[in-house]
Amino acid sequence: MRLLRWGALIAVAAVLLLALTGPWWTPASTTTPVGTPFRPPDGIHLLGTDVLGRDALARLLAGGRTLVLQALAATLAGSIAGVSIGAWTAMTRWRAPAIVVLRVVDGVAALPALLLLLLLAAGAPGDDVVVALAVVLVSLPFSVRVVAERTRALTASPYHREAVARGDRAWERLRHDIAPGLLPVALAEAGVRFIAAVQIAATASFLGLGAGAPAASWGRMVRENTPGLDANPGPVVVPAVLLVVLAGGVIALLDRASLRRLDGAERIEGTP
Amino acid sequence: MPGRVTRSIGARALVAVAMLFALTAVVFWCTEVLPGDAVGVVSGQDATPAERDAVRVALGLDRPALERYVDWIAHALQGDLGVSLVSGRAVAGIVSARFGTTVSLLVPAALGIAALAGALGTAAGLRQGSRLDRFLSGATVVLIGTPDFLLATMLLAVSAACLPALPAVALLPPGGSLWQHPELVVLPALALALGGFGSTMRLLRASVAHAARAPFAEFARLNGVRGPRYVRTVLASALGPAIHSLSIMIAGLLGGGIVVESLFNVPGVGYELGRAVATRDVPLVQALSLVVSASCLFILLVGDVLSRLAGPRAPRHADADTAVTV
Repeated sequence: MRLLRWGALIAVAAVLLLALTGPWWTPASTTTPVGTPFRPPDGIHLLGTDVLGRDALARLLAGGRTLVLQALAATLAGSIAGVSIGAWTAMTRWRAPAIVVLRVVDGVAALPALLLLLLLAAGAPGDDVVVALAVVLVSLPFSVRVVAERTRALTASPYHREAVARGDRAWERLRHDIAPGLLPVALAEAGVRFIAAVQIAATASFLGLGAGAPAASWGRMVRENTPGLDANPGPVVVPAVLLVVLAGGVIALLDRASLRRLDGAERIEGTP
Repeated sequence: MPGRVTRSIGARALVAVAMLFALTAVVFWCTEVLPGDAVGVVSGQDATPAERDAVRVALGLDRPALERYVDWIAHALQGDLGVSLVSGRAVAGIVSARFGTTVSLLVPAALGIAALAGALGTAAGLRQGSRLDRFLSGATVVLIGTPDFLLATMLLAVSAACLPALPAVALLPPGGSLWQHPELVVLPALALALGGFGSTMRLLRASVAHAARAPFAEFARLNGVRGPRYVRTVLASALGPAIHSLSIMIAGLLGGGIVVESLFNVPGVGYELGRAVATRDVPLVQALSLVVSASCLFILLVGDVLSRLAGPRAPRHADADTAVTV
């Protein structure tokens, strides 16, 4: 089990590194054709050519950074917003505004993620930042829900009620009573959100949203090279495998964090 | 007691209607107020500023946004959803035709998921930690970790190689309905089902497992209740949460349809929505997103009501409740 975890960590780090630094060492131009379409790999073009005869390896190296940056930025922004809103709704004394916020959050959660993505993309076409914002928006409701429920459980704990009776300020209670119990949940939640963010960002590029056509991206590579799967499977299979390894690796890392979350819940219940 | 149930259903319906109205504002804001504007579509790329202004006035886009919003809502309530900027046809007609196609894809996919995820989720949830349970939890993690579009692409590639009899791209004869061509439905419906199966099966397993851990189930086991009777006992309690999970799954399939329909060229709501976004056909985007979100809200509402009628729901804040009683 430990071995699996290390393997997952190394795999995730490798994919992230490849995606982030890839554009710096592309072996050929990502937009100029170098041969006939769907030529199998040879000594010069290690992944062969794609649908327009461009070097597939160059496009693979160039096509991951936007996706990973979108997913990381969306996860970070979504986690900060999710923890702030979630903890606020659970700790505030203003019950009515908190309920309104939770209702709005539920309303957003009811919509298909891709619909919101398409709507925002329709409003600001060809913009990668808008895709990242859309990812934040669609994943925020779930973070808020999870954090709010966890915080509510923590505020009901005897030590937190003692802190309230003692007259501790809200900030002190958040820092000393809530945060330690909330952190594992928030981390696991961030992992789940990262997986969702990678998938939504990749789907956006698959559907042709975000930066326009000549730009390389893993999602678009899968889409445009599927017709040549028989002649040269590389440009479809390799980005697909990288996407699956990234998501699967984070899931494998996550299982432990979720287990620890369960342990945390038992500790609170058992506190005399 | 019936009064309380009716009131709670009514409250939920009211919330759904309020949410739908809030959504119309979001849809309108995204499509009309954000920069991607209809003027560019109608006037073409080479239009002079004067021509663009003329188009703007002709479309009524020079009026304040609030006025146009009220106008749009008023027309939509009367069933007038405007005219497509690209094809010039009435939007309402396009939307209803596309919706039928989407439903004929959605129904087989949802039934398939419900049957398979229900059976496997029950089997895994009743025997937690068994070999089947561990295998299914691993397999569903892989399914969930793989983006829907990859699953659909894989299915497309595999069927092109192994099952050439099934058409990979739905070429629907004009005027024909998808109901009359079951062979065109198979692959897209399967792709749709594959995308929704993983999370549904996990949710169903969790509600069965939750019921099987409850004191009443242990009491039944200790009293020697076995076999089908025990399964019935547990399932009766798991039914409410299970219906809830199924409604979430069906609403999710509407979103998954956007990918599957555009990949398999099925002329449904999702396919048309992707196209309308690409061509900035604002009235069509507005109408399609309204229809999709209204259907989602409706499905979730029905699921909520049915699960309430089916039985008591699992307490939502389990740890909060126990922590208070400690």
